[in-house]
Amino acid sequence: MQANPVSLSDSFIEELRGVVEQRLSTSAAVCLQHGKDESWHESLPPGAVVFAHSTEEVSEIVKICARHKIPVIPYGTGTSLEGHVGAVYGGVCIDLSEMNEILNVNAADLDVTVQPGVRRKQLNEYLRDTGLFFPIDPGADASLGGMTATRASGTNAVRYGTMRENVLSMTVVMADGRIIKTSSRARKSAAGYDLTRLFVGSEGTLGVITEITLRLYGIPEAISAAVCPFPDLESAVDTVITTIQCGIPVARIELMDEVQMKALNAYSGFDYPEQNTLLFEFHGTEAGVKEQAELVGEIAADNGAGEFQWASKAEERSKLWQGRHDSYYAAMALRPGAKGMATDVCVPISRLAECILEVRKDVDAEKLLAPIVGHVGDGNFHVCFIMDPDDADEMRRVEGVNRRMVLRAIAMGGTCTGEHGVGIGKIEFLVAEHGEALSVMRAMKMALDPDNIMNPGKIINL
Amino acid sequence: MTSTFKPATDAQVLDAVKWAVADKQTLEIVGNASKRGFGRPVEADQRLDMSGLAEIVDYQPSELYITAKAGTPLAAIDAALAAQNQQLMFEPPDYGPLLGGAAGQGTVGGLIACNLAGSRRIKAGAARDHLLGFHAVSGRGEVFKSGGQVVKNVTGFDLSKLMTGSYGTLAVITEATLKVLPAADKVRTVLIHWPQNGVYDHGGVQAMTEALGSVNEVSGAAHLPAHVAARSAVDYVSGSGSAVTALRVEGPGPSVAYRVAALHDMLSKFGKIEELHSQNSKRLWKEISDVEYFADNQERALWRISVPPVEGARVALHILEGRPGEVFYDWGGGLVWLSVEPADKASQAQVRRCVGDVGGHATLVRGSAELRASVAVFEPLDAVLSGVTERIKDGFDPGRLLNPGRMYEGV
Repeated sequence: MQANPVSLSDSFIEELRGVVEQRLSTSAAVCLQHGKDESWHESLPPGAVVFAHSTEEVSEIVKICARHKIPVIPYGTGTSLEGHVGAVYGGVCIDLSEMNEILNVNAADLDVTVQPGVRRKQLNEYLRDTGLFFPIDPGADASLGGMTATRASGTNAVRYGTMRENVLSMTVVMADGRIIKTSSRARKSAAGYDLTRLFVGSEGTLGVITEITLRLYGIPEAISAAVCPFPDLESAVDTVITTIQCGIPVARIELMDEVQMKALNAYSGFDYPEQNTLLFEFHGTEAGVKEQAELVGEIAADNGAGEFQWASKAEERSKLWQGRHDSYYAAMALRPGAKGMATDVCVPISRLAECILEVRKDVDAEKLLAPIVGHVGDGNFHVCFIMDPDDADEMRRVEGVNRRMVLRAIAMGGTCTGEHGVGIGKIEFLVAEHGEALSVMRAMKMALDPDNIMNPGKIINL
Repeated sequence: MTSTFKPATDAQVLDAVKWAVADKQTLEIVGNASKRGFGRPVEADQRLDMSGLAEIVDYQPSELYITAKAGTPLAAIDAALAAQNQQLMFEPPDYGPLLGGAAGQGTVGGLIACNLAGSRRIKAGAARDHLLGFHAVSGRGEVFKSGGQVVKNVTGFDLSKLMTGSYGTLAVITEATLKVLPAADKVRTVLIHWPQNGVYDHGGVQAMTEALGSVNEVSGAAHLPAHVAARSAVDYVSGSGSAVTALRVEGPGPSVAYRVAALHDMLSKFGKIEELHSQNSKRLWKEISDVEYFADNQERALWRISVPPVEGARVALHILEGRPGEVFYDWGGGLVWLSVEPADKASQAQVRRCVGDVGGHATLVRGSAELRASVAVFEPLDAVLSGVTERIKDGFDPGRLLNPGRMYEGV
């Protein structure tokens, strides 16, 4: 994959050291680690890693790289899933994890400004005493810069939206090293094109995000979670569809299929029925939560659901969601030594049952091990192939199932990626999905990064 | 000489733009032209009238989205959704009368181009948060589409967001898919009647901030000073002769009752509390979203000011010191509607300075063509942002043919 990584001259490295002094590494181990995320994609190491401490430093680094036309790859915590941090053409990785200060909480305006290296859990711990929280929860304890750059979502999206809805403004270092602020603190960005949302999800290909202002929410008065088994996949998915169509503001609604439930029980020590299961969480006032739970209970019962098992204590809930978030590891534990490949299609919810069932049929026919979990309230689900990358025949079958699933999802009016992003892994599917819009995206990329130095080789090939 | 092209199909739109590209003709893009007076005046060679592309292409209530051609009147969309007890959650306002025209003329394309939203914006977001996908013709004369019907996707640059609020300067939207949701069972509005006489703008903002910070899921928060409240068609609002703060709660019956009671307890320290039921609530929030109170005095310049909510009242009262004008607040104080005289250049420049001092934005929503050509209608950009804006414009529309100058001079 890394055909001709650009070589970094000693004088170039010295120029960078002039900005960051000792905070630069060219060691093979550090570079290898920074070229790899949590996915199965192999490491594509940069030629150097710098640890930036301020927006100004990032700007200086980018200016130097721009002068030499050296690629720049921003790095937060490396928890992406489509090879987003791989240095496809080599270059300089800017590690932002040491820019981890929470700069300013505005409780009255319900917003907070953070540096990009602040992690999700760190922010919520910091906010705890204020009665506020930041709801976007992709599972991994990712950096907020990375979550912004990949437009992360996760289990809370039905009620709170994704990063798209919750980033109010950011400071970005552009490809020429200039610094812009995309919007002021005023809620409504009235000035010009919506640069904030253009950078949310741009995967580091347009600039380096160095400061982010996020929307906060009051911690709900009441929270309650439940686990409910279903006789089959359709009845579980029908329950989801009716719930969403009724406009019930559930906070989370997650599907785990019978294979995943088996993995969950084994990995996290639960004793749930090993059936297709929905996990719910309700947020709101005491009365609101009770009402939502009753409404959903009725819908589930109409669909032949089993008993709801409630988790009202914070501790039980946190164990439950940790179990859900550990799905990937639990799934891999089903087959020790194997690797996991998580897919990410999203379809209109009315097509969801049909789509999942066809995938399940295909997985079974190809004799693959692939549990399914999903943020089903958004029509988004993940098939996690548990595979041996060295078994060429198995890999061929995995790729076949995956390709058929993605094309099926696109044909249903859906998308190849609901939340993981394009990175290097989904570039080819983008062509099938977007067609002519790619030329518009390409024009956009050329306009803002004419030398193609910002995380090149991601989203679109120029 | 300006001609008007009125295409009836997507293919005809493409032909028109291709011709414009070939002959270097600039185009003014309009739907029913109801918001033509919003933005800088466009001086284009030709006009492209999109009102002939008016059709709901796909609406199945169970799918929770609606796809319509750009020229489809919003009134037709609202009617189709209402028949199924659904709605666009961002409460698209109708600025027709506000801008001196008739009501009910706005189109889907215009709504997206201007990224409008009503009072529910604080909870549900604006048009841009509800646009799932679109079809368009770029200023290069190329057809493209982006997004689709699903609520989540992370496939590259978010062109839907870029397109929304670009005032037709990047591409001609031909078709849009918007997210819809069921309408709430019950709507209630908690009113705070402030004591008579006196200025309660600061108090109103404080009350709204407290209510919005609570768990009660307030979906509308507005403050009307006494002389503005007096113009409401809702007796409970206009009758008291006092300033009124309004807080909306929506949802299923029992939880609405619970939340209204909670707000009542929380807010009674500010003034006398009243409650509006569904019909009166709907009437009131339409007045507020459509800015009906400022539709009459057409010669006054009208500003839409976005500020951090805590700054809103201070900025507004400062601008109005010693000057004829009026103000009211929506979005919990984050949106300030301000009408002011005289509608001349110097006076308007001062509005912008006061807003800029607190990091806010101001948009001149209504003013004569001369005024809109001579002062910045939208918040001016600094040199760097201005450069980025021009590069984006050139990415979509290198000949700068579409709605030239509508947002910024030369763009």
